[in-house]
Amino acid sequence: MKTIKNYLCVLFFLLPIAASAQDLAPVVQSVNSAKDVSGLIQVRSQLERFVEAQPLQWLADYYLAYVDVQLSFMVPSKDEKSLYLGEAETCLNKLSGLEVPDKSEIYTLKGFRLYALIASDPKTNGPKYSGEIMSAYSTALGINPNNPRAVILSGLFKNDMAKYMHQPYEDFQKDVDKAAALFAAENTTLLTPTWGKSWVDFALTKK
Amino acid sequence: MKKKQLLILLSFAVLMNGFAQLRTLEGKVLNEKSKPMVHANVFIKGTIEGATSDSLGHFSFTTRQKGEIILCVRMLGYAEYLIQVPDNKSTALVLKMRPDNIALDNVVVTAGNFRLKGNGKFGKMSAVDIVTTAGSTGDLYHSLRTLPGAQMVGESGKLFIRGGDSNESQTYIDEMHVLSPYTTTGDNVPVRGRYSPFMFEGINFSTGASSSEYAQGLSSILALNTKDVSPITKIGVNASSVGMSGGGTRAFEKGSVSVNLDYQNMKPYYSLFPGRLDWINPYQLFSGSSQIRFNPNQSTVFKTFIGYDKTTFVQQLTSLDNQATRDFGMKDDNFYLNSTFQKMTESGYKIFTGAAFSYKNQHIENAVIPADTYHDKEWEVHLKAKATKRYTDFLRLNAGIEDFIRHDETTYSNSSAVHSDSINHSIGAFFATAVLNISPDLYAELSERMEYTSINNLWNSNPRLALSYNLKGVHFSAIVGKYTQLPENKYLLLDQNLLAGQCLQYVGGMYYEKKDKVYRIETYYKKYTDLALQEPATLNSEGYGYSKGVDVFFNDRALFKNFEYMLAYSFNLSKRKYQDYTELSTPQFASTHNATVSIKYNLQSLKSILGITNRFASGRPYHDPTKEGIMNSTTGFYNSVDMSLTYLASKRVIIYASATNLLGRQNVYNYNYTADANSPGGYRKVPVIDSSNRFFYIGIFITLSGKTAYDVSNF
Repeated sequence: MKTIKNYLCVLFFLLPIAASAQDLAPVVQSVNSAKDVSGLIQVRSQLERFVEAQPLQWLADYYLAYVDVQLSFMVPSKDEKSLYLGEAETCLNKLSGLEVPDKSEIYTLKGFRLYALIASDPKTNGPKYSGEIMSAYSTALGINPNNPRAVILSGLFKNDMAKYMHQPYEDFQKDVDKAAALFAAENTTLLTPTWGKSWVDFALTKK
Repeated sequence: MKKKQLLILLSFAVLMNGFAQLRTLEGKVLNEKSKPMVHANVFIKGTIEGATSDSLGHFSFTTRQKGEIILCVRMLGYAEYLIQVPDNKSTALVLKMRPDNIALDNVVVTAGNFRLKGNGKFGKMSAVDIVTTAGSTGDLYHSLRTLPGAQMVGESGKLFIRGGDSNESQTYIDEMHVLSPYTTTGDNVPVRGRYSPFMFEGINFSTGASSSEYAQGLSSILALNTKDVSPITKIGVNASSVGMSGGGTRAFEKGSVSVNLDYQNMKPYYSLFPGRLDWINPYQLFSGSSQIRFNPNQSTVFKTFIGYDKTTFVQQLTSLDNQATRDFGMKDDNFYLNSTFQKMTESGYKIFTGAAFSYKNQHIENAVIPADTYHDKEWEVHLKAKATKRYTDFLRLNAGIEDFIRHDETTYSNSSAVHSDSINHSIGAFFATAVLNISPDLYAELSERMEYTSINNLWNSNPRLALSYNLKGVHFSAIVGKYTQLPENKYLLLDQNLLAGQCLQYVGGMYYEKKDKVYRIETYYKKYTDLALQEPATLNSEGYGYSKGVDVFFNDRALFKNFEYMLAYSFNLSKRKYQDYTELSTPQFASTHNATVSIKYNLQSLKSILGITNRFASGRPYHDPTKEGIMNSTTGFYNSVDMSLTYLASKRVIIYASATNLLGRQNVYNYNYTADANSPGGYRKVPVIDSSNRFFYIGIFITLSGKTAYDVSNF
């Protein structure tokens, strides 16, 4: 009897965790495969429900912030961009208080969000956020120098800044090659960020 | 055996799951105008079960949950919608959403109000925008003079808004009053703002009918919000034709500390460009400022700002009457401390408390005549507390109390006498505002401000009503409000029973913004009463007057790529009988027409921003004693073409250069007359003109730390 009780207790504790990770897995896969605004919004809705149902599941907040940033690039309306980026900031602030395996991913996503802010209004936000972006990526790489997302996004931003100043960024190729190698070697699981390879492909078109 | 038991348990769970019946939840999501909402997220609260509404607002999904459930609907920009759905009512649901509090609270009554930066959807300019406006010479107040409503009073440098005197414009930092926002300068040298525009995140300039929260400003309110916690550590230095500065910010996990030191000395500049003034000791300014920002959590903000500056100069002045010269020697100490606390509670209250201390100590040698001295010591303590809460989608309330405790003492002495005066008084106030969201397109603000002025033991009631209506993207606003302001200290020192001047204001306007184009037009009428009036035998509060006009503003950032232009025009008719005016007259500072054309071009290939501003103002009235009446003559018109160039040498080096009045026109602001039997008419006429026809500025801003770019601010 005691043994059955032990099994029941173990099941009650383990099943929800295993179930939540499994439930989130197809949603995460959809994030990477969504091609248009409608598809991303569907995924966003699913992530929003996960955040509501499992508030301690950091990956849901993380990917909700990521999808919001992606949507801000794709919607035409400035008001909508502002709403998505505002929610992304809320998610990122919440992540600061959660247990996250790799803080480098949070700082990378912070920098990515700031990059989207600049893209939404370069004239106003460029001078305002350029410093913060560089700081976010530097911090991410300081925590984990082999974070492929931080490597490629940092490289792309430095290249853009150099172009604006009509100067070459000598290490751009090095950054792209390093990021490509890191993505190829990356061991992705259900519980880690998996996005970003498409930015390497984008960077290759800039060469 | 153990494995068998586990298998039985798992099989039991699967079987139980299979036996639960499916239930369909289906319906429509509509907005506040009963139109279908696309992509609204509909789900059972606390679960991942749900669906997204389609292009017709329709949603449908199945669940195994039985009994009453709570359905939740979410959409960015809209308030969360919750509905209890009983077991027997799961289909044909109609879920109606309303815009959320943030969207509601961002709609403001726009008449007479420019949100230049940060706060709300109308924010378009940054500190860099302000500084790169040609003619601003890097000064916030000079930049504001390009906006409609501001009148060109070049010899002063202060804000004169819609026919109002400069003392009718007040400055607030983080909602706390600043007693002395302007620098101290010599005779006929325009003042500048004490604080760098780069310190501020939000710049909110009200040219009239301002919120009941702000006190003692009959004409305008400049409300500045400092930046939030800086996430990056940085150090910067600056060298320019007028001085140098340096400072930085140290970022911590939950806060930041910023420090800036500034030294200005006009001697090198005057040696290259002498001007019309004679300096024994050149203008020198030393200032230091610091700010601590601390966010212990997401809902709490604590800020403290400290600023000190010391100004000294000795200027040789010539008396108009007898041509004797004197060395006007100034020593000015100014200190400002501002500490605020803000918190958003879990029950939705936004609490604010603040305390500010302003101190000015000014000593002048040879102030009026040779060998006299004038000493003025003035301070103010401002205490404020308020709370804001949105109770329903329909109603938001804001209420607070504040107190201004003021002291001013002056001493004048010469070879024959010593005269001292002082006043101590306070202004206590209670204010409350109700914001009513009558419909999605119609908003109303009802507010009341009750003030008690201890100096004359009187209460004043200042009600205000504001309406805002949105008609297909065009915002219409109308405001009526009553405002009061005590007379200047120079009058209160003579008679503490003077009444507070009153101004009843009516403002109506229209605002439209589309695709980087902004259109504004406003009309106003201001009626002044109880102004301080210096008559031959008495000083009383029987002064009165009016000011009315139209302001037009147009800004276009879409005509050509990297090109922006702004047109501002003000028409003003004002008359008043106050101070030493013997009859109702147009004030000397008021000009009927003021116009500004300002362009900016981003020369990307040259990594530069070019700015050109052309300002025009019609002639100002002045008093000619050889004619009857007062303010019986008019100066020539004012015109100045200014240029600025900002060069982004690298991401850490910015060079800024500006020149005012490129065409070298000698603008006359006024005439002073002195009795001279040898001159025609018995008077010698001396024009009041700029200290030099042109002013040149060049500065280099260098960021020393590695993690920031294009950042000229050390805060």
